Amino acid sequence: MDFDAIVIGGGHAGIEACLSVSRLGFKTLLITQSLDAIGRLSCNPAVGGLSKGNIVREVDALGGEMARLIDASMIQFRILNRRKGPAVQAPRAQADKFLYSSLAKRTLEHEPGLSIFQDTVTDLLVSASGREIQGVVTERGNTITSSVVVLTTGTFMEGKIFIGEYQASSGRLGEPAAVGLGTNLRKRGFRVGRMKTGTPARVARSSIDFSKMEIQEGDEEMLPFSFSEKKINRPSVPCYITFTNSGTHGVINTNMFRSPLYGGDIVGKGPRYCPSLEDKVVRFPDRDRHQIFVEPEGLESEEMYLNGISTSLPEDVQIDFLRTIPGLENVVIMRPGYAVEYDYMDPTQLYPWLETKNISGLFVAGQTNGTSGYEEAACQGLVAGINAGLKLQKKEPLVLSRTDSYTGVLIDDLVTLGTEEPYRMFTSRAEYRLNLRHDSADIRLLPIGYRAGLQSRENMDRLNEKIKGIEEIRELLDKRRVKEKDLENLPEDYKIHVGKSFSRILKNPDASLEDLIPLEPELSRYPSRWVTHAGLDVKYEGYIKRQNQQVSRFKRMEKMKIPPDFNYDSVEGISSESREKLKAIRPLSLGQASRISGVRNSDIAVLMVLIGRKGGGRGD
Amino acid sequence: MKDLFYDTREPIAALATPWGESALAVVRTTGDGSVEKFAELFSSPGKILTAEGFTMHYGYLLDPSSGIEVDQITAAVYKAPRSYTGQDSVEIFCHGSLPGIKSILKALQKGGFREAAPGEFTLRAFLNGKMDLSQAEAVAEIIDAKSVRAHNLALNRLSGGVFKRINSIKNELTQFMSAVEVQLDYPDDEIGGDTVLPSDAVKKALESIQELINSFEIGVLYREGITVALAGGTNAGKSSLFNLFLREDRSIVSEIDGTTRDYIESWITLQGLPVRLFDTAGLRDAQHPVEKEGIKRSNEIIANSALVLYLIDGQSGMSDADKKVVEENRNNRRYLFVWNKIDTKAAETPSWAVGVSALSSEGFTVLENEIVERIMGSRHSASDVMIDSLRQKNLLERSLEALNRVKEGVDTGVSLDGVAMDLKDALDALGEITGEVTSDEILNNIFSNFCVGK
Ligand SMILES: Cc1cc2nc3c(=O)[nH]c(=O)nc-3n(C[C@H](O)[C@H](O)[C@H](O)COP(=O)(O)OP(=O)(O)OC[C@H]3O[C@@H](n4cnc5c(N)ncnc54)[C@H](O)[C@@H]3O)c2cc1C
Ligand SMILES: Nc1nc2c(ncn2[C@@H]2O[C@H](COP(=O)(O)OP(=O)(O)OP(=O)(O)O)[C@@H](O)[C@H]2O)c(=O)[nH]1
Ligand SMILES: [Mg+2]
Repeated sequence: MDFDAIVIGGGHAGIEACLSVSRLGFKTLLITQSLDAIGRLSCNPAVGGLSKGNIVREVDALGGEMARLIDASMIQFRILNRRKGPAVQAPRAQADKFLYSSLAKRTLEHEPGLSIFQDTVTDLLVSASGREIQGVVTERGNTITSSVVVLTTGTFMEGKIFIGEYQASSGRLGEPAAVGLGTNLRKRGFRVGRMKTGTPARVARSSIDFSKMEIQEGDEEMLPFSFSEKKINRPSVPCYITFTNSGTHGVINTNMFRSPLYGGDIVGKGPRYCPSLEDKVVRFPDRDRHQIFVEPEGLESEEMYLNGISTSLPEDVQIDFLRTIPGLENVVIMRPGYAVEYDYMDPTQLYPWLETKNISGLFVAGQTNGTSGYEEAACQGLVAGINAGLKLQKKEPLVLSRTDSYTGVLIDDLVTLGTEEPYRMFTSRAEYRLNLRHDSADIRLLPIGYRAGLQSRENMDRLNEKIKGIEEIRELLDKRRVKEKDLENLPEDYKIHVGKSFSRILKNPDASLEDLIPLEPELSRYPSRWVTHAGLDVKYEGYIKRQNQQVSRFKRMEKMKIPPDFNYDSVEGISSESREKLKAIRPLSLGQASRISGVRNSDIAVLMVLIGRKGGGRGD
Repeated sequence: MKDLFYDTREPIAALATPWGESALAVVRTTGDGSVEKFAELFSSPGKILTAEGFTMHYGYLLDPSSGIEVDQITAAVYKAPRSYTGQDSVEIFCHGSLPGIKSILKALQKGGFREAAPGEFTLRAFLNGKMDLSQAEAVAEIIDAKSVRAHNLALNRLSGGVFKRINSIKNELTQFMSAVEVQLDYPDDEIGGDTVLPSDAVKKALESIQELINSFEIGVLYREGITVALAGGTNAGKSSLFNLFLREDRSIVSEIDGTTRDYIESWITLQGLPVRLFDTAGLRDAQHPVEKEGIKRSNEIIANSALVLYLIDGQSGMSDADKKVVEENRNNRRYLFVWNKIDTKAAETPSWAVGVSALSSEGFTVLENEIVERIMGSRHSASDVMIDSLRQKNLLERSLEALNRVKEGVDTGVSLDGVAMDLKDALDALGEITGEVTSDEILNNIFSNFCVGK
């Protein structure tokens, strides 16, 4: 074997995958099409956001890199949805794209045991039985062997871009597609389909009249995504907001026939949550305007990103409609918007540890699994990398749960239900989202990262200190009562709370922790994020308790394991439709089986009888 | 996600004998803590708590909220693993009348036992190794068949009308949920100002669900009827009125005080409503042991009736005993005061009573109307469809409860993620009747109704 592990693709999934296998002590090779494109942010210049910010923190807690990369390259930071409750708050940062990807490249280059090589993989090397991975074959004819392979091809596998009538074989504008691999995967029996996504134009900063736009500043405080209490000291630059208008929509309607989408050239399914401007205009004709966020691509770059109006209309139409927009009357396009269509692999072909069921040792992560988004890619890359490492160590795979992480929800959804459109995370996909707060990612996952071998003892000690601190704060909140004389420093409506403990008062929707903190000097001894954390725990205690009951109910079903090689054909009494589905998905627990669409409760009961009797699978 | 009733340890209860009138019925319970939970419902809890396995105990099952005796029963206690399911279990032997069985099941539910799903006892028996492995497939078939039957049963019971009604409530709540979720899944600046919570949706859903629940209770009234007792002093005219209701001379009438010594009952129909009417012994300080016993029985019947028609002899006026009863029960809707013998030179009917003559039937229609009104009371339902399964009613109640929390949350300004959790509970409960709402559907709704996404 030339290497223990080969990772194909240096995108956000590939970065986490190659770093984690390598850090677990294995000789690893990253093969990617262009070394200059490692860690490139293909689309919007931002990391995090609702549920995605939580994922970044999860990646960090498990021992991944993304949080540190964005911490060192952010140029604006915000906590979103502060008013809407703890489950749906999340950090988001604007990134200096160029800095981000150069930091990513540097991190990989400095990783001992990790080699980087520029080439394009066109086929897999597989054992004679066809069931075991042995390495890869590249475009330039190199044959490189390894025990495990992680595939992360992003939008590049048989990628094709569209700008009006223009079409080209590309994965990103200006970058060639990876041709051949998709065809070979199909030949090897994988179900491979097409998906599409799009991106807006980048325009010249100097051609924009910002005086006609609304300014959007970041939060005063820049906080790290990574596990640290230190504030971030980086420049913070604003974004801008402007709107389309009926003039813009007129231009689009007139030229709609020139869109590749309406011409039927694109067969891949696009994401509904991320519609192009053409889509928005057609589907919501009553809307007289759509919002645009104008975001810097980097501190030193002229390029500005027009968030909200991705398009694949011809370039002359793009410039026409852009110039109807306030502030963009004289705008100059530097890169046009475009759509990209690419191959993805049906993710139900994977086990929840992201290894293919057909070829042992082959792991798949990122956009190749039908997802979209940097964070979604990164968390899969990390899980695939860890599991590739565990496989090399001949250890049990790591499977995250819907109850411990968004990453667990994402992977479970993918491998159990598959996806029809590019899959993006939403908080509403997580039934236990109250337990998946961004500020608890370390508590939830750092110990798992530690056990996997990716987290330091030092971080574990710091985590324990934090957990202890939060407990102490909670005790303080339980004990400390509002006194008559505190009222001088409190808003009017706290009068009715005199004599009650902080904890009791906090359960009141109107009461806020910020009002109470200044009253108790003891609280200021702790990092403010710990206090906020404890405060939210207390405030939402009732809901959290109920959620925990649901979680334990859920877990009972997850604990009833089904062997991956279970013989469904030998089971009588289940419907043939269910049987086919069970055989295809090969669920690992009764819980997972019950989530497969079309499997009935009575089928689950039958399985429960059989599994339960085979030992080890008792519901306790 | 699908709802999985297969929590294999929770205490459950179900009727083990066929669903029908019989001399004896067996209600079976099992699960962790089932013995302790049952003990709380039993007239002598200590006996059960200290009982060994395979022992029988005689006593009363009590309603946990009122403490009233539901039925005389014999309880067989089994200790894990030596029971049918392999878990702690209690089997209850009771009288085989349908209303009786129902009230036992109800009391058990109130006491923390879940209604068992089809095949669930057998399933547990298998899981705990109480049955032979070779039977596994046979049982699988039974479970399958049973749940198919239960499913068909459920489908049949779920008439098109009910299905449509619940679905339309569900759809409105799904819209509401989408409006909540879009706020949760997108930051403010991306949604713009154009999502308003259609908050009257919750109010409307609450009303519709309440109506469906009422329709069940009304349905129960029409199917199972209601108990009404005639009470009052001797010679007030109870037996005369009883005969008038029956339109035949069933009960002996005489001018002698204390004619009726033991109660008589009969089923009658009042405006379509089945009523089990009791004529009782007149209440007075009796000396004779037979009469004493009769009065004791009268009091029991009065205590257990849904409605008491308390007769007062208008001709002779109120006795001290009457005055006391009136004073105590003037505002009790369970008591309907009847001022009898208005054909004579009786004193004028007081405002709190209905005047009738059992002799001439004057005022009788008014009395009938008043009785029906008292029985139906708040249970009015504008709903033109009726549900008739206890399971559906329980699920609707669960949904109602969760929706009340939603309403309270919205009113008091609880953060939206909390509200969403209650909303999901409400939807899940409805989903168990007509099919679940998946998170994907919610997202679908968001994407088709809101223009969001960068
Ligand atoms: C036009 C466009 C629009 C997008 N729009 C959005 C959006 O609106 N919202 C959103 O969340 N996300 C969007 N994204 C997606 C986001 O960029 C990706 O989800 C994310 O980058 C995926 O990470 P990845 O690691 O899976 O793949 P990528 O970041 O695409 O990286 C894949 C890497 O692998 C290399 N590679 C591929 N195949 C081979 C091979 N055979 N041999 C060697 N190297 C190979 C490629 O050169 C590339 O460097 C968009 C991407 C594009 C291109
Ligand atoms: N004038 C008149 N007499 C009535 C009326 N109702 C009952 N009586 C007479 O009152 C006497 C007692 O009637 P019952 O019906 O036996 O009274 P009761 O309440 O059943 O009495 P007990 O069984 O003894 O408790 C009889 O003589 C009846 O004929 C009425 O409406 N008008
Ligand atoms: Mg009588």
